[in-house]
Parts: sequence; structure tokens; C-alpha cells
Amino acid sequence: MVLSEKGKINELCKILLEIGALLMEVGANTFRIRATVMRVASAYGYHAELLITHRALMLTIYNEESNHFFSRLMQTSPQHVNFRIVSGISRMSWHIVEEKWSLEMVRKEIDRLKSVSHYPRIVSLFMVALAGASFCRIFGGGAIEMIIAFVATFIGLFVRQEAVKRAFNPYLCIFSAAFISAMISGASVYWHIGNKPEYAFATSVLYLIPGIPLINSLLDFLDGNIMNGVVRGINGLIIAFSIALGLLGAILIYNI
Amino acid sequence: MEWSVLWEDWIWLGFAATGFAILFNVPYRTLWLIFILGALGGTLKLLLLQQGVNIVLSSFVGALLIGILSIQAAHFRHAPSFIFAIPAVIPMVPGAFTYRMMLGIIHLTGENDNTIFLQLLQETVDNGLKAFFVLSALSLGVSTPMLLNRHNSTKEIKRIKQITENLSE
Repeated sequence: MVLSEKGKINELCKILLEIGALLMEVGANTFRIRATVMRVASAYGYHAELLITHRALMLTIYNEESNHFFSRLMQTSPQHVNFRIVSGISRMSWHIVEEKWSLEMVRKEIDRLKSVSHYPRIVSLFMVALAGASFCRIFGGGAIEMIIAFVATFIGLFVRQEAVKRAFNPYLCIFSAAFISAMISGASVYWHIGNKPEYAFATSVLYLIPGIPLINSLLDFLDGNIMNGVVRGINGLIIAFSIALGLLGAILIYNI
Repeated sequence: MEWSVLWEDWIWLGFAATGFAILFNVPYRTLWLIFILGALGGTLKLLLLQQGVNIVLSSFVGALLIGILSIQAAHFRHAPSFIFAIPAVIPMVPGAFTYRMMLGIIHLTGENDNTIFLQLLQETVDNGLKAFFVLSALSLGVSTPMLLNRHNSTKEIKRIKQITENLSE
């Protein structure tokens, strides 16, 4: 397929915005989004100017020789962290630069990345629950506390996955997961199961901590993307607040 | 000090890092490296804590080690360095401090006695500040090597080499 200059610039703009939006959705920091989009644009001989916000991207690309330019806006979907896509896009951008990929190849690769597989559900449930038990161990819990943290994390993550599947409000998903986890581990505090049940209670919600929004927020601040940093930081704080509300619910119910 | 405890802890630190890595859906080929990074960084932090180093500083040093190693891992496994760094640093997140701070705030709202209130307030502020500074130290430690590496990213160094090789051919 041979595209005209106008068709080519149109398709390129669409692809660049899709790359940017995908990176924003899967949890890349602002510098990475900008660098990747500019790298791909310059590989095709265009200069890109990009405005990055949390929910939409605006891009203008132009070619100085032919004096063509093209602008477009694209909305980004809510975030769901997926590092496999970040890694795939990073690799793809270097393939584009080094091997001069055509636009059709890039389009195919983006479609492939969008449908990239997740870990089997039972594996992720088991491993994250094991991480919860490990946290409990690091903080000083014994075998019984570890089992409680494991069960609480396992069921809490299951609840969160179900809530995400039903497209609840993202903060509501986190609140319900935190509440269920805290209710399960709080029961052990209420009935004094084990030596230090409060360790299990404290560590059973740790799988929800907003590590990526907070670290990305600081990275954005350090790069001078203050607006994006503030938005990501506040997002992280609301997540932390949702976790605290879930814990509060369990504390009030058990009166511990 | 109990060295045997430390001998066991690195396994749990590694599992905690791997659990988060799976939650973030990292590529298969990076999993075992994340386990090692998480275990090394966390163990360094615990070692420093045992030597009586302040918790903020020891978290920073642990995160710094993870940041530096993640760049080597990025060379080795051809994936962006923060894919290794972020899951590896999460086991060091100050969960216990944050939890105690939140618990303190919840108790404060229902406390009427003045002396108990002041004592609770002191503990809550102490835990909250520690949590905040540890978290900042972690992000700063992880991102410092990335920021220093910024202008010649992992791949670019290799690319410049390749171009010069191609030219000489």
C-alpha cells in the first residue's frame, strides 16, 4: 500500500498518539512518553510537539521540507498497569529507528501488544498472596500470621479483579478489596489468633499500595513536568485514602 | 545481632518483589532478575538498619543499589530499567508506618482526653513523617541512577557503538 504524503502524515499521527496513549495507560512516566513519541516521529523524518495530560494527549507533527503539518487529540483510557506493553513499545521504538519499519508493520505490532497475554489468573493470585505473606514475615509475623495474610490477600485481590471486570469506579474497586482483606485479617485480631495478629492486619492490604503513581509522580517532578506530577501524586493519595477507608470500615466493625 | 534472621529475610523480600512484578505483568524473562534485585536491595537496607543507620538513609541506599543494578539488568535483558526497579523497590515501602499513622488518625478523631490526645498526636505525626520521608527516599534512590543515565539511555550507548562500527566497515 503506497500512501500519499497526506495519508502518510495522517496515519503516522494516529500511530504516534496511540503509542503515547498506550504508554500513559500502562504506567509509564511523562518523560518516557515524550521521548518515545519523539524518537518514533524523527525516525520517519517528522518533528513532533506533544502536550501530555492524564486523560488526553495532543500532538502536532510537521515536516520542515514539505511544510506539511498535522494536529490531533486523543483521549487515554483509565490506567491499568502492564509492564509487558511498556517493554514491548520500548523495543518496537528501537526497531523502528534501527530497521526502518514501515507504518503497516508498526500498526501490526501495536495491535499485537494490545492483545498481549497476562499471567494466568491463579498464578497472579497465588504469587501476590505469597508476596502478602512475605511482607508479613519481613515485619516480624510468624507462620499463623503469614497464613492469615496469604488468605486475606488472595481473597482481596480476587474481589478487586472481579470489581475491575465489572468496570466499577477504580477507587471503589480498591476500597472494596481493602475492606474485604481487612475484614478477613481483622477477624484474627478480634479473636486473638496467633501471637501478633496486628502484623497480619497491617500487611494484608499492602498489595494495593499505589507504588507506581507515587514513584511516577516524583519522577515527573524531577523532570519538571510539575502538572503531571501533581495529578499522579493526587491520584496516588486518593488510592491511599481508599485503602485507609477500607481499613477504617473493618476497624469500626470489629472495634479494634 | 541475629544474622540467621537476615539469612532468611532475603527470600521473603524476593518473593514480595516477584509478587508485585506479576501484578504489574512484567515479561517472563525479567522475573528472576526482579527477585534478585528485590532481595539484594532489601537485604542491604536491613543490614544498614542493624548497624544503627537511620531508616530514611538506609532505605535510600537500598533503593540506590536497586536503581544502579536495574540499569545493568536493562542492558542484560533489553527492557526499560524501571521495569526492574519499581517492583524490586516495593517491598521496602513503609507499610507499617503508614498503617500506624492511619490507625492513629482514626483514633484521634474519637479521642476526648487531652493528654492521651497529645500523646497520640505525637506518635501519629512521627509515624506519618517517617512514612513520607522513607517513600521519598525510595523514589529518589530508584530514580537517581535513571536521571543520571538520562541523556545517553541504555540503548543509545549501544546504538552509537553500532553506528561507528557500521561506518568503519
